Amino acid sequence: MLQYWTAILTEATIFGVLALGIDMIWGWAGDFDLSAYAYFALGVYMTIIMTVGKAKAPVEYVLGWRLPYLLAVVIAVVVVVAFASIIGAIALRNLRDVYFSITTFGAVWAIYYLVENFTPLFNGYNGVFGLFDPMGQHLSYNAYHYFFFAFCLLVLFLVYLLVQRLSTSPFGRMVRAVRDDERAASVYGRNVFWAKYRTYLFGAGLAGLSGGLFAAYIGAFNPLDWKPTEIFVLYAAILVGGRGNPRGVVLGSFIVYVGFVEMTRYIPSPAARPELGPALRQILIGLLIILMLKFRPSGLLPERLGTDGTSVQRSWRRWFTRSRRLPDPRPDDVASDPVIGVES
Amino acid sequence: MSATALLEIESLSKSFGGVVAVSDCTMTIREGSVVGLIGPNGAGKSSVIDLVSGFEQPSSGSVRFAGVDVVGKRPDQISRMGMIRTFQTPREWRDLSVLDNVRVGRSDLERESLWRSLTSARRLRRQDALDTEELRELMAHYHLDELRNDRAVGLSGGQKRLLEFARIASAKPRLTILDEPMGGVNPVLGERIGEAIRELKKAGSTVVVVEHNLPFVEKTCDEVIVMDLGSVIAQGRFDELRDNKRVVDAYLGNDDE
Repeated sequence: MLQYWTAILTEATIFGVLALGIDMIWGWAGDFDLSAYAYFALGVYMTIIMTVGKAKAPVEYVLGWRLPYLLAVVIAVVVVVAFASIIGAIALRNLRDVYFSITTFGAVWAIYYLVENFTPLFNGYNGVFGLFDPMGQHLSYNAYHYFFFAFCLLVLFLVYLLVQRLSTSPFGRMVRAVRDDERAASVYGRNVFWAKYRTYLFGAGLAGLSGGLFAAYIGAFNPLDWKPTEIFVLYAAILVGGRGNPRGVVLGSFIVYVGFVEMTRYIPSPAARPELGPALRQILIGLLIILMLKFRPSGLLPERLGTDGTSVQRSWRRWFTRSRRLPDPRPDDVASDPVIGVES
Repeated sequence: MSATALLEIESLSKSFGGVVAVSDCTMTIREGSVVGLIGPNGAGKSSVIDLVSGFEQPSSGSVRFAGVDVVGKRPDQISRMGMIRTFQTPREWRDLSVLDNVRVGRSDLERESLWRSLTSARRLRRQDALDTEELRELMAHYHLDELRNDRAVGLSGGQKRLLEFARIASAKPRLTILDEPMGGVNPVLGERIGEAIRELKKAGSTVVVVEHNLPFVEKTCDEVIVMDLGSVIAQGRFDELRDNKRVVDAYLGNDDE
């Protein structure tokens, strides 16, 4: 049972890193990116093929190096960012909102089918495998898993510190201004594309890093292990936790991965219909997204406002108030404005 | 009044498909003046602003700002040369606090480098804190100090207008172009906006105001440019233009009719 929990929590931790990356792109910069799962998968593939050595027929894949695990992860992140720089340059130049999403969704499926059908790249449908115990054989099987969980937790913590620091920095503020109104941001001298592009690459880099961790966790990876649509689970996590708030995103990842994905495994399926359980899990995640959007669209821990530190509502009090994303007031509200005075 | 030209627009033209929005438009804005840009709907006022600020590219003609040709530059590049424009509706950054709106308005671009935000976060935060005092004074001036920690989207329409002025004041531009600052504004607030424009001038900014409220234009502007059908038909002091037949026909209207 302890091993089972370690496995689940390790997974939640790895996806927490991925969620932080996606949240930068969507929560901060406002771009609903659907290709992040490709960056994650590319991170997994790259890490595996750079650590397991030459391919033996009939298995085939590129590179086939035997690098130390950590070095492989670093190179994988570099490759992912380079790759994202191409997709980002195309998708972010002139496309916004749903057009941006469609483009990135097209990109991820193109990559998916390429990986699945072009065998020389990552062994196609059968995938790559063989990475196990990147620490060498110094630890026992169980001890290794506990160690790896602690390692992932450390990485998540460091990534969280980094992202949190960026989130509250002038850079994070500027990116959010671009998100809220990019024409106004360019009127105040901000290069909109460059702001979004840098955020996109940073988020993609985190996706690649989480892929590097996942490679060591899962050991083998093939197209059955990832579907581009799984990104909606991560968006559910971000929505539950709080879009734009790194702390909320980490919380949301744990709630969704532990609470929804894993707990729903216990939903009994009748022997005649074994597919009922997994389908029900998807339905529950869809329902979770809808309920959050209806009742708490800014999440459990809403995005934090940049204030001067005075007269800020305590976060626990915000729990009891409705979402603070208010509707636009009508122009005639001016008439009864307490500050500007009543209409003369 | 200083005689140097800050903005020189020469035979500017723009057509969208078959529609000619601006045709052979020529005007000069002198540094230090408050200029009203008036004309009937569809005269091309907003199009000229879009062309000058880089949101649209002209079909032909030239725009020189502070002696530099700005045609072909992006809006953010033109803005960094010292030009701030507004739009017909207030465009606040809705999910930023009022304070952050003004902070971003300051356009302190060096602080926003990704690298510095990662490596010297503490120093940047200290710099932000040092600015707070000054920015609070500025916000108090526009009746926004009480609201500084609120999300900008919750402001009323009038407060959003004032936030726009606070943002401009913190950016200290050389040229401010206001597109209908009086749209949807009550008379009391209108007074305050007129005052804000005079304050901008006092602070050293040249101001161009597109506005339909003629009494306001008469009171606020040193000079008026009248546009019709995409080009300038008159330029001068407001009371001089009252007797100009073309202006009267095109815009001011005739009492006899």
